[in-house]
Amino acid sequence: MAHFQIEDLTFAYPTAKGRSLDGVNLTIDRGEYVVLCGKSGSGKTTLLRHLKTVLTPHGKRGGRVLFNGVDMEQVSQRDQAAKIGYVMQDPDNQIVTDKVWHELAFGLESLGCDQKTMRARVAEMACYFGIQDWFHRDVATLSGGQKQLLNLASIMAMQPETLILDEPTSQLDPIAASDFLNTVRKINVELGTTVIITEHRLEDIFPYADRAIVMDGGQVIADDTPRGIGKALHERKNDMFAAMPTPVRVFYGANGQGECPLTVREGRNWLNRCFPAPPQIHGLPAEPLEEEVTNPALSLKELWFRYEKESPDVLRGVSAQVPTGSLWAIVGGNGAGKSTTLKAICGICRPYRGKVKIFGKPLEKYKAKELFGGCLAMLPQDPKSLFVKKTVREELAEMTDDRQKIDEVTALCQIGTLLDSHPYDLSGGEQQRSALAKVLLTQPRILLLDEPTKGIDSFFKEKLADILCKLKDQGVTIVMVSHDVEFCAKYADRVSMFFDGQLLTTDTPRRFFGGNSFYTTAAGRMSRHVFDLAVTAEDVVGLCRQAQEG
Amino acid sequence: MTNDPFSKCHPTVNFLYFLGVIGCGVLIQHPAYLAAGVLCGGLYYLLLNGRGGWRRILGLLPLFVLLAAINPLFNTQGQRILFRIFGRPYTLEALLYGGAIGAMFVSMMLWFGCYDRVLTGDKFTSLFGNLIPAISLLLVMVFRLVPHFIRKTRQIVGARRSIGKGVGEAASGADKLKHGLVVLGALTSWALEGSVVTGDSMRARGYGSARRSSFMIYRMTWADYALLAAMMGLLGLVIGFAAGGSAAAQFTPSLKIAPVSGFRALGLGAYWAYLLIPTVLYVKEAIQWHISRLKI
Repeated sequence: MAHFQIEDLTFAYPTAKGRSLDGVNLTIDRGEYVVLCGKSGSGKTTLLRHLKTVLTPHGKRGGRVLFNGVDMEQVSQRDQAAKIGYVMQDPDNQIVTDKVWHELAFGLESLGCDQKTMRARVAEMACYFGIQDWFHRDVATLSGGQKQLLNLASIMAMQPETLILDEPTSQLDPIAASDFLNTVRKINVELGTTVIITEHRLEDIFPYADRAIVMDGGQVIADDTPRGIGKALHERKNDMFAAMPTPVRVFYGANGQGECPLTVREGRNWLNRCFPAPPQIHGLPAEPLEEEVTNPALSLKELWFRYEKESPDVLRGVSAQVPTGSLWAIVGGNGAGKSTTLKAICGICRPYRGKVKIFGKPLEKYKAKELFGGCLAMLPQDPKSLFVKKTVREELAEMTDDRQKIDEVTALCQIGTLLDSHPYDLSGGEQQRSALAKVLLTQPRILLLDEPTKGIDSFFKEKLADILCKLKDQGVTIVMVSHDVEFCAKYADRVSMFFDGQLLTTDTPRRFFGGNSFYTTAAGRMSRHVFDLAVTAEDVVGLCRQAQEG
Repeated sequence: MTNDPFSKCHPTVNFLYFLGVIGCGVLIQHPAYLAAGVLCGGLYYLLLNGRGGWRRILGLLPLFVLLAAINPLFNTQGQRILFRIFGRPYTLEALLYGGAIGAMFVSMMLWFGCYDRVLTGDKFTSLFGNLIPAISLLLVMVFRLVPHFIRKTRQIVGARRSIGKGVGEAASGADKLKHGLVVLGALTSWALEGSVVTGDSMRARGYGSARRSSFMIYRMTWADYALLAAMMGLLGLVIGFAAGGSAAAQFTPSLKIAPVSGFRALGLGAYWAYLLIPTVLYVKEAIQWHISRLKI
């Protein structure tokens, strides 16, 4: 008997015109690891929410969902709570209580378990997830990754048969995300829990999934093994192909033969088979970095900063020069001080030593109005921090009365269709672009971006990159802090590594990522034994084609 | 954080203890009892806070002087007039009474300081966990939300500043109010959005599907029961003697303070013993550690 049986499920939200789900038929077996992919708004979340009645949205529904052969409506709330675990996107708001131990026990308390059972289960979970060390801590002191792990653990304490995860890592940095996904995989392998997951970061889960399901416009358009999905999407020239892991994209881009690689290891082996002897073309030319920047838009000189008198220094001599009209990306670990650097540039943090110069003029000489009115602006990590009105149109009107300017920015950010929506009703990528539009209305000549690709899928990333390129053409200088090495490799003009409170190396992306062996893109790791300095999937595809022709 | 053995006792023990201390401290105005309250409170406060505690204690001194000196200005009753101010008598009795009020205030500040360190938010809520799970959960959620809101407010203010929508240096009061309201509005939408997710997360984990139980992370051990019994015994003695008039004190219009001598000293002794419980536990543990280290 199938674990979940979805029969002809159709759903429409009360106010929406079209259907969010349109005749979905699916069978999910016990212990399967299923990845659900699709663009934002393709109906993934709506489908997942139908697998648990308390979360099912209101609207017009047809068809049915069977859980262990019983109609979902007939399964008691208690059984659903205990047997179907559901992890959502937002690490913060999912947490209910203020202490880690209490959060672990929350589900068990709700089910009315007795002390003895609770004690045993909570202890068990704390050990399994390695959270003994922070068992007594306040939830507020945890990092995003720890919070999401806690959410997972508190659900696993109820010993569910199924784990449903709705973009669980979209708010996490890559290292925390891959930790989290490894734990999910461990649960699937070691406990046999059925896992149904939606994710943007397919690189980390695609190779391990039993099955991938692609949705588009509320319909299931493909349902196959991950390898089969890669092939199907390539053949249909579907947009979703851009979200496939790098080895898959390179393989089909270079018209590869044989079995499609899914992991970096398989990708390397495939390249070895392709090129038994080293190819004629052995890499891409390294474009040198101009060391001397004349007339920089932004210059930082020996910045030192700490948050409190007694706390350690966060910035320990940060120096940089950013040429006008370029995109500068800062990469580096969590809590290294990248965001603090941005704050120091826009004067939210005041370094106790060192100088920030903007267009050659020291920061402290600027008046706030002069600085933020046409010179400098920052897009915060959480775009929601900028939303204060009921519609996107009002948000933009708050910034300026100039209709023409608003129209220009609306066109640039492609938010024409979103103007009358409430900012909170938009998807992550749409929110990002609306917030960016608001920021751009101050007409900044230097734009600061804090993790602009966090939580957005590959299509929105491309749209964002488009916008950034257009801004650069207009002469805007962009400073970006990011964890997204793929994005930085593709679009940045210069990349700096932030470590130990300093900017250690600055170079062009090709030389920067091409020189690294760990901290680099999947494409770089996959091809560095054959080609030098190929850091994006496009680079590798181009080189493969040239090598095959030549 | 110091390693205080009393803090590791069951929250019920902690809670009842402080209830006793604060109850007696407010009701008994006898100078000897007040002095005991201040001294023992100060001692335990220092043990909990280490050297940093001195600053707070010394900071309370002017408050004590101020309270004592101000009382005679309002209360002119009493027999021994020290001097006249604004044509009103400034009496010794009123001054002493002011001193008693000041001492009571200082002792309460100290004991509440200790209470704050010992009975943390989660301990407090766990007290009611079994009795009223719904209220206890509500408290826990409030404890979590308040710092959450403060952080988010900072984030919104910072975000608005960096797009030139911050309050300028020369903003008028009306501008500041307007700015504050915008931030409050944004905070509200954000909180509503968050509460929808929290609600989903609670229901997804079976909230409301069965009668709630409450995970008790603290367990009453025999040591807790023994301590509780000792506490109750001492407190009984104190209350008994106080009811018998041993702790009676009147300041105005005339000074009438019950003598502390002979049999009546027992009440005061019990009070000292009661107030010293945490300190004694602390010292006992320190000695035990010292001895076991010597043995190595």
